[in-house]
Amino acid sequence: MAQRAANRIDSKTETVLVADAIVTRFGTAVIHDGVSFSVRRGEVVALIGGSGSGKSVLVRELIGLLRPSAGRVQLLDTDVWNCSQDELNVLRRRFGMLFQDGALFSSLTVAENVAVPFQEHTNLPTELIPSLVGFKLSLVGLPADVGAKMPAELSGGMRKRVALARALALEPEILFLDEPTSGLDPISARAFDNLVRVLSDALGLTVIIVTHDLDTLLSIIDRVIVLDDGKVIANDQVKAVMKLDVPWIKDYFSARAPVVRSDD
Amino acid sequence: MNATSPWLKIEIEGDTSVLHLSGVWRLSNLAAISVALQSSGLSAGKRYLIDGGDLQELDTAAGFTLYRHLAKIECSTSMVSLRGFDQRHEQLLELVREHMDSPSVAPHALHRGTVQRIGAATLNIWLLLQGHVSFVGTVVLELLALIRRPKLFRVKETISQFEVICIDAIPIAALVSALIGVVMAYLLGIQALQYGANIFVVDGVGLAVCRELSPLLVAVVVAGRSGAAFTAQIGTMKVQEEIDAISTLGLSPIQVLVIPRLVAIMVALPLLVFVGDVAGLTGGMLISAMQLDISPLTFLDRLHSVLPMSAPVVGLVKAPVFAAFIAIIACRMGMQVARDARSVGLNTTSTVVQSIVWVILLDALFAIVFQHLDI
Repeated sequence: MAQRAANRIDSKTETVLVADAIVTRFGTAVIHDGVSFSVRRGEVVALIGGSGSGKSVLVRELIGLLRPSAGRVQLLDTDVWNCSQDELNVLRRRFGMLFQDGALFSSLTVAENVAVPFQEHTNLPTELIPSLVGFKLSLVGLPADVGAKMPAELSGGMRKRVALARALALEPEILFLDEPTSGLDPISARAFDNLVRVLSDALGLTVIIVTHDLDTLLSIIDRVIVLDDGKVIANDQVKAVMKLDVPWIKDYFSARAPVVRSDD
Repeated sequence: MNATSPWLKIEIEGDTSVLHLSGVWRLSNLAAISVALQSSGLSAGKRYLIDGGDLQELDTAAGFTLYRHLAKIECSTSMVSLRGFDQRHEQLLELVREHMDSPSVAPHALHRGTVQRIGAATLNIWLLLQGHVSFVGTVVLELLALIRRPKLFRVKETISQFEVICIDAIPIAALVSALIGVVMAYLLGIQALQYGANIFVVDGVGLAVCRELSPLLVAVVVAGRSGAAFTAQIGTMKVQEEIDAISTLGLSPIQVLVIPRLVAIMVALPLLVFVGDVAGLTGGMLISAMQLDISPLTFLDRLHSVLPMSAPVVGLVKAPVFAAFIAIIACRMGMQVARDARSVGLNTTSTVVQSIVWVILLDALFAIVFQHLDI
């Protein structure tokens, strides 16, 4: 038992993602000017920053979709921008990505969307796949009858859940979420947060969330990385970051609508 | 009864069976785990104690498969207790158990029978035609509104559409018609040479190109070129909610998007057909000079005396009608796009097919009508 506990501490300290001096330029515009940070296994890390601070771009660079102008990305012991296509494909089975608008395949039904990773990357007995698809849909809080629908027939929030079910299908070690709770009602958003946290704790899942949602930040996040003006201006636990005397961060954490009370 | 495998081991302790799990219970091993479970000889109606002391890793898919197997042998979750699990694995199994009642969802849509598909397709065509008719009505009403307030007509948009539909299409329309003129002259020439009736090739090429081939081919080219573009442009705007934005700004999407295209294409197509006529005759003239010993001057002289004015006029009269059908179908299919990427592609394909079919159908109708009118 003690041995396993020690293992777990080890696994907590194992670094699964390193971004090293990332520079991104679009033409003459400099988006990132030396962004560096690392993420350990099992952490739930938020990436925040104002609109246009390049959060989504950074995530695309981390997962091998967009080549940074300079810098190095080390993801699960693979140098993302300096490895073969085969290595990258192996790597891609080990992380999941939830895109901002879900990015479901519009020509496939919901169930087919969720089944794609199983069919392409596993040798599961065919009779097992439908029940696993049903289970994954239920896991993200969707009723089974959604399975037969086309993505175009779903609401934004439902698409997001289906996309999460697809991202979770291969039981990834790292999950990248691009604004997972935007467009969800507060109840669904909190349920989504809890789901992410439970999965993270249970699976040792490392989660990197791009978010604007303060409630997400305050409830489930271990550590927050703040991007501003192309640089990481803060990288610490939420409580510590909140206390920093940086104008953007102060504005961010105080940017809540005043609560109107009618029971005076 | 006692089964052993790398994944699980069954032992009897008093009156309960203990299921020892071991190894890496993850998706990558799930096929083997599934087989191990099948052959483990777990039997129904017994109490099971699941021991996770030796379990290294566990994910939801593996946990689900375990519970699913237990459920299959009618061993409800209440008859199963856990022991020795790592806290996070226990948490995970708890999560899995909450979602065990989820029914399976087949990843394939229901396959419909032949009769059902024919029925659905027929109904779809009927609904499509109904929609087209109602769309024509809407466009006519908007046109009438425009006549009352002509200031709202978008001249700039119409001219820029005209440029794309007409000016940019001149090379391709000329090329296609010239080639068909060449083919006509060549084929007719082979026959006519046998009778020494070379000069009649001019009659044939003139009539065929001006009356039928140039209008038809140019209309098909424009349907494929501009019709597809209309649907794709308007469809993408629909996906991006731009059409809703136009309505919300108090403008009419029909007046902003459809009418400029309709007007532009109705003006453009007759002009392109004229270009096609000239190019087709030039092609015919070229072959006549090279193969049939008819000099260009003779060709033009003969053409002047035998080609009735009605032939090119008929062609030019048909063109705006073809154009109107292409524009109406293309714009409506664009407006009909659903909010997903696939739908833009499907509707664009449908536009091209429908426009070409309609152009040919109308051409046949015109042939019959003109025959009866002795034109």
